[in-house]
Amino acid sequence: MPVAKRETEIYRRDAKLNHNLLTPAEREKLLEPYLPEPPTRQNSKAKKGSKVRVLPAEESHSRLGIRKFLKNQLHALVYVIIHTVFSIYIRFRVAYHGVKDRIFAILYYHHRTPELIQKDVKGLDRIPTHLSVILKLEDGGKGGAGLETLVDEVAEISAWCMCVGIPTLSVYEKTGILKGYVPATHRAITRKLSSYLGPDHPAVSLRAPHVPSIESAATTTTGEIISFAKPLSVLLLSAEDGRDSIVDLTKTLADMAQRAKLSSTDISVDLVDAELAESVMGEPDLLVLFSPIVELSGYPPWQCF
Amino acid sequence: MSLHLSQLRKWILESPPIEWSINQLREMLIGALRQGPIPQHIAFVMDGNRRFARSHKIETVEGHNLGFEALARILEICYKSGVKVVTVYAFSIENFKRSKYEVDALMDMAKIKLSQLSQHGQLLERYGACIRVLGQRDLVKPDVLKAVDKAVEMTKNNGDCVLNICFPYTSRDEITGAIKKTVDEYSKPLSAQARPFSQTRITQKIRSKNLDASPLRADSPTPSSNSDVDDSFSSTTTLHTDSPNGGGEASIYPDPETITTDTIESHLLTAGDPPLDLLVRTSGVKRLSDFMLWQCHEDTELVFLDCLWPEFDLWNFLPVLVEWQWKQKHLEDKEPANSVKNLKTKLT
Repeated sequence: MPVAKRETEIYRRDAKLNHNLLTPAEREKLLEPYLPEPPTRQNSKAKKGSKVRVLPAEESHSRLGIRKFLKNQLHALVYVIIHTVFSIYIRFRVAYHGVKDRIFAILYYHHRTPELIQKDVKGLDRIPTHLSVILKLEDGGKGGAGLETLVDEVAEISAWCMCVGIPTLSVYEKTGILKGYVPATHRAITRKLSSYLGPDHPAVSLRAPHVPSIESAATTTTGEIISFAKPLSVLLLSAEDGRDSIVDLTKTLADMAQRAKLSSTDISVDLVDAELAESVMGEPDLLVLFSPIVELSGYPPWQCF
Repeated sequence: MSLHLSQLRKWILESPPIEWSINQLREMLIGALRQGPIPQHIAFVMDGNRRFARSHKIETVEGHNLGFEALARILEICYKSGVKVVTVYAFSIENFKRSKYEVDALMDMAKIKLSQLSQHGQLLERYGACIRVLGQRDLVKPDVLKAVDKAVEMTKNNGDCVLNICFPYTSRDEITGAIKKTVDEYSKPLSAQARPFSQTRITQKIRSKNLDASPLRADSPTPSSNSDVDDSFSSTTTLHTDSPNGGGEASIYPDPETITTDTIESHLLTAGDPPLDLLVRTSGVKRLSDFMLWQCHEDTELVFLDCLWPEFDLWNFLPVLVEWQWKQKHLEDKEPANSVKNLKTKLT
């Protein structure tokens, strides 16, 4: 509203005295030059009225039209310029990030040694106890290649988590294709873990909401386990665990209310929170996305708190 | 030396011709933005007022005041460029945990600004904005509530655009409220008088018809028809036994299986607003802090900016809008092939 310096000063002095300095009328006068034109509906109505009465008004109208047209053209031009510049900028940015990530990936390559990963994390003073990642299925479900890379990514991230010492990992993938391959994913994770940590690694449990979990016993044959690696539980999520789970909860609650087992005043944030934590998961401490724009794409809304 | 330079800079920037041309530039940029697609619904988390106050060594309340000015600036940009709904996170339920002095000052500020707004009804009409306050009303003091109601009442008829002020609000509270309302709606029995046909009359009619029919049918030679009559009899008896449960005591409920996401959505505080396109959070904190959880989980673009809220202006906002437009255009152009620019982030 107040754009110019002088008016801003006056406004602030007024505000300091809890707006007792100026009367409403004075304040309106202060703002007058910065207000947009009154609504166009009235404008056009007035113009139409004048056109009926006096003809010469049409001339001024058309000149106004030309001015408006020119203004629009100018805006369109500026729009095109802005977007051209921005397009160039964003290409450079993508290239820059691509190169930077590649270089870092080479410099900090983990060589599948948990000690190196552990060293990377040493500088951090806090480590999340529940990490959540959003992954994307790349080829839209056609052919097995997309699924295979997805499983591989899950396995890789699980291995990193175990090396770092994060006890819970949840993997969100919109379509939920992974839920159909729980045993296969579990096998892939176990394989990846033994390639990182050797044959003796802590237990991994893999589960999805409403799917029985698959546990693997810790392979403590020699009793010599790397000290920092803790048992890991991995949770697979999909879009149906988001809004739909809240809808399901509502259905259950409505059903109970209909049979007079519960009154709607019993429903509280804590109840909903406890139920959703029970059936889906608790809230994660850190959410990692692997895309240039931050978009939750259907991630469970209650949990992305 | 640097002090002199900044003085000089300030003086030049404040001189009328420069001021005028900056305003013209702003107008032109906003006009240019209008040429492309514009998000219909933007949400802002106004974060950083306190930090701004601390870093500039002014009082916290003063920081909030400057934050309000920033809000006015941003609203002007939004409405001029054609945004329909703006939602701002003014006060979280969690914020009641802050010092009493600050909470009181914030409440006072809200009251003063809102009552001041209601003094300028005509000016508001020019923007055509209607104000709505979302949140837990019973947590607000009655005098503030009065100011809120007055402002809401006054702007009720302005239909061009909407300003949602989330004032004692958390998203979990909102979702819980929506669940509660849905449950309430579904636990209200449907009125039995909704249909003009009485079930008892129908059963009586069927029974009397069967009574009429059975002696006639008894004459017919085939035994199968007899069993037919038996069947219809049994069906009438079931009808009869069902009807007191079903229709008599008005205990028909809507089927809970018909609850969908839309049902819950219609009970949210933002019901009726277009889907959230853009959520901007200032001050570099990458959290949602319990704001618009339900609304922003689908295609909303979340933007986290490093600047503090009182500094937020067109120059910070413009890149965000341009990037959004750019993304929108490219989504239209090539729907499937957007995986090229997938940046891989390393986990460490």
